[in-house]
Amino acid sequence: MLDAAPLVNKLSPTPTPAPQAPTAALLSLERLHRRFNVGGGRQLHAVDDISFDIAPGESVGLVGESGCGKSTLVRLIARLLDTTDGRIVFSGDDLAAIPAKRFAKAKQRPAIQMVFQDPTDSLNPRFTAREAIREPLTLLTGMKRGEADARVDEVAAQVGLPAVLLSRFPHQLSGGQKARVGIARALAVKPTLLILDEPTAALDVSVQAVVLQLLEQLKRDLGLSVLFVSHDLNVVRLLTDRVAVMYLGKLVEIGPSEHVFRSPKHPYTQSLVSAIPGQGPRIKLSGEVSSPIDPPPQVCRFHGRCPRGEDRCAREAPPLRMVGSQLVACHFADPAAT
Amino acid sequence: MNETLKHIKHVLSENPVTMLAAALFALFVLIAFVGPSIVPIDPLASDATAALKPPSAAHWFGTDALGRDIFSRTLVATRLDLGIAVSAVVLSFALGIALGLAAGFFGGWWDTLITRTSDTIMAFPLFVLAMGIVAALGNTVSNIVLATAIINLPFYIRVARAEANIRRGAGFIEAARLSGNGDVRILAVHLFPNILPPAMVQVSLNMGWAILNAAGLSFIGLGVRPPTPEWGILVAEGAQFIVSGEWWVSFFPGAVLMLAVFTFNLLGDALRDIFDPRRRT
Amino acid sequence: MSAPPLLDVKDFGLEFRTRSGTVRALEGINLRIHKSEIVGLVGESGSGKSVLSYALLGISDRAAKVTGGTAIFGGLDLLKASEKTLADLRGREVSMIFQSPRTALNPIRQVGLQIEDVLRRHAAAPGADLGKSLRERAVQALREVAISDPQRRHAAYPFEMSGGMCQRVMIALALACRPSLLVADEPTTGLDVTTQAAVMDLITSLARERQMATLFITHDLALAADYCDRIVVMHAGHAVEAAPARALFTQARHPYTARLLSSTPDDKTRSAQSLQPVPGNLPDLRRNDLPGCRFADRCERKTEQCVNERPALAADAAHSVACWHPLFGPPSARSHGSEVQHA
Repeated sequence: MLDAAPLVNKLSPTPTPAPQAPTAALLSLERLHRRFNVGGGRQLHAVDDISFDIAPGESVGLVGESGCGKSTLVRLIARLLDTTDGRIVFSGDDLAAIPAKRFAKAKQRPAIQMVFQDPTDSLNPRFTAREAIREPLTLLTGMKRGEADARVDEVAAQVGLPAVLLSRFPHQLSGGQKARVGIARALAVKPTLLILDEPTAALDVSVQAVVLQLLEQLKRDLGLSVLFVSHDLNVVRLLTDRVAVMYLGKLVEIGPSEHVFRSPKHPYTQSLVSAIPGQGPRIKLSGEVSSPIDPPPQVCRFHGRCPRGEDRCAREAPPLRMVGSQLVACHFADPAAT
Repeated sequence: MNETLKHIKHVLSENPVTMLAAALFALFVLIAFVGPSIVPIDPLASDATAALKPPSAAHWFGTDALGRDIFSRTLVATRLDLGIAVSAVVLSFALGIALGLAAGFFGGWWDTLITRTSDTIMAFPLFVLAMGIVAALGNTVSNIVLATAIINLPFYIRVARAEANIRRGAGFIEAARLSGNGDVRILAVHLFPNILPPAMVQVSLNMGWAILNAAGLSFIGLGVRPPTPEWGILVAEGAQFIVSGEWWVSFFPGAVLMLAVFTFNLLGDALRDIFDPRRRT
Repeated sequence: MSAPPLLDVKDFGLEFRTRSGTVRALEGINLRIHKSEIVGLVGESGSGKSVLSYALLGISDRAAKVTGGTAIFGGLDLLKASEKTLADLRGREVSMIFQSPRTALNPIRQVGLQIEDVLRRHAAAPGADLGKSLRERAVQALREVAISDPQRRHAAYPFEMSGGMCQRVMIALALACRPSLLVADEPTTGLDVTTQAAVMDLITSLARERQMATLFITHDLALAADYCDRIVVMHAGHAVEAAPARALFTQARHPYTARLLSSTPDDKTRSAQSLQPVPGNLPDLRRNDLPGCRFADRCERKTEQCVNERPALAADAAHSVACWHPLFGPPSARSHGSEVQHA
């Protein structure tokens, strides 16, 4: 049922033709790598050969355990970090070519914004809410104070933040209110790509629901593209069109959210989905996660922990291939499996 | 502005000790400004007939070996001592914080260079280093200020570096980058105000230390030259008379010196409270 | 349950003296845990669930003051026991595991040695195999929590281990002396879904094996439902509903519980707009004029009675609720002294 917005799936090495007339992707990651030196000539492969697209107005989820590289990937896309290899093509320009240090002054800076996980940590304790939301406006759009203040009022209303709270400091605001300030700040400069890094993780359950409703409404009203990182799979399922699953720096499955959750094809995704409380029998994983330092390129990263592991997995790392409606990196993914 | 004044009043009234410190501080500042105009007797006027007289109605703190009124001299010295201390601390603060921020935020060779310099300064007994600097550069007030500033640099560098290090990975710093802030602006607008509270306590402690430093240097003959009244010199002039019983010559200037240092130390906490937005309700 | 409860908390109240007023953190708590039962204590931040557990173990903040009630554990009232008695009890009869494993472990001491410390402190613990050395027993404890290669890991430091492994070490520490009651305070918050499942499986299997009672504190209702026999829901310092796990989900009686359930997405939720968040905010517990039922100001079923009288939870019923107008079933029994005094 691919009647969602036209999707262009990019995989390496052969591109798969899109089911409908392709629309130019807003963001296109091409063979992205990020490695860190950990001394002694060894390297940690945080992001390993990741390629996927985000179409305009599309909402893509990014899930995976801690250490899988999703935080690093997100920081690469937001240009807070430099890539080791690969291209980040955004509306036709390769952003990876601009060093992160200089990106603050780049013309694309306002187009990609991010909402952080911890609302308390991501607000400067000495700035009022108004000052925090206004800063990107004055720095990135050249607005004067008066204009910027008007825009602050506008976006505060959009996120349901009462105007009287704008003159308060973060420590005078509740968790939910701080979360709204963070969202308002990101939206103020009218980005075309919004990255949400675990936006409800630090919030109480009752506040989470309100923020989720806000996010859903904004997504509808503003039509921006969203990259939604979360460990809460139920939330990802709710708010995204497609979802990408990462494991140890690699993409293991990507496809329409409903399909991935209802019939996951990669053994890791299957175990992840089964671990959600209330999902019934759990697929248990044995052993510890393999090391991301200098991993042997011909071995599947999930080998050793995978409930199904065969000789082939240690000789040949599986490429992403189309299985049913998802791209899956596993030799044994079965299109017929539920 | 109104908010700020209200907040300052609130902080001061919370703690009676803070009130006391603030009052004393205000008194010292007042004396520093108007002291020379309100002295009862010319601090430089000597009167051989009235030498070494104990405290009396005519001379509240008594007179010294040259018959000069100690009270007037002590009062007038306030301006010089405070002036030296404030100049030294301001200089030290500005330079030290800037260097510390750079070291903590950028890391790498910035950090190595600045930290090693700081370590080198701290390797010396600080007073000896100050002596050395003044002796090498010459006996002037500006050199005392310079020397005091240099030996106090490491404290500011250390505080700023530690705080910058803690905060450099903070969410709001990353958010600042997303908002279009370059490195320099992040340091100045985002980091600096947040390290102010711990830095302010340092400033106050430093003021006390700077006064002691200047007094100490003058005591041993480096720095301010007699007959200019300065607390350290006044104490030095009276040192030889303690044994023979004319205790007041050293005592009163010393007591005032002690009171000044005490005031600044007490003020440290109050300053930190004033600058910390978390205390505002 | 016909057997007497292992832990019987009756009408427990606690407050904190702070500069900005007295915080009435807990009021009228009734709670029972039976041997080898796993009870989930569910509530949001500010509900008092952690405060309750700390108070039972006698490790509350110094500003805390018990205002009434009893907490009988094995014939002893924990609230009136001396520090010495409690210190002997902690680690041996009652143990606790905390939320952040890295901060709960001593970062500069090898994990095996930390386990040995506990064993040494309670050297005469019942069931201890005194034939083995402390080191052997520590290694055995590590093995029991499924840490691979326990001989080598004995010498490891917490920073060398992953979050999930640190959590297992903490569990090993807590269970080294075979306590009869384990209090687990948000042990899996911050862990990934798969690690969370593994840790919860470990805790529950050990609990069943050793017939150990467990009080599992969490804000995640779905997680509690998966692993606990019974669940107690807390709101603003009150225990508002207690029921067997399944029953709570299918027939929540208290309006707050129902809202908690409807505000969390599950696999059937189609749109965020269908979620029903809890309206309003937690009441300020420093107020003198708190309504009898502290959920009153956020509840659409509120009446005069809710403001004036505090509904109490019956500790002995299978599914009980502290509400004058529950969604199903009879309201709380009226008890003497449930009228609220407004200061």
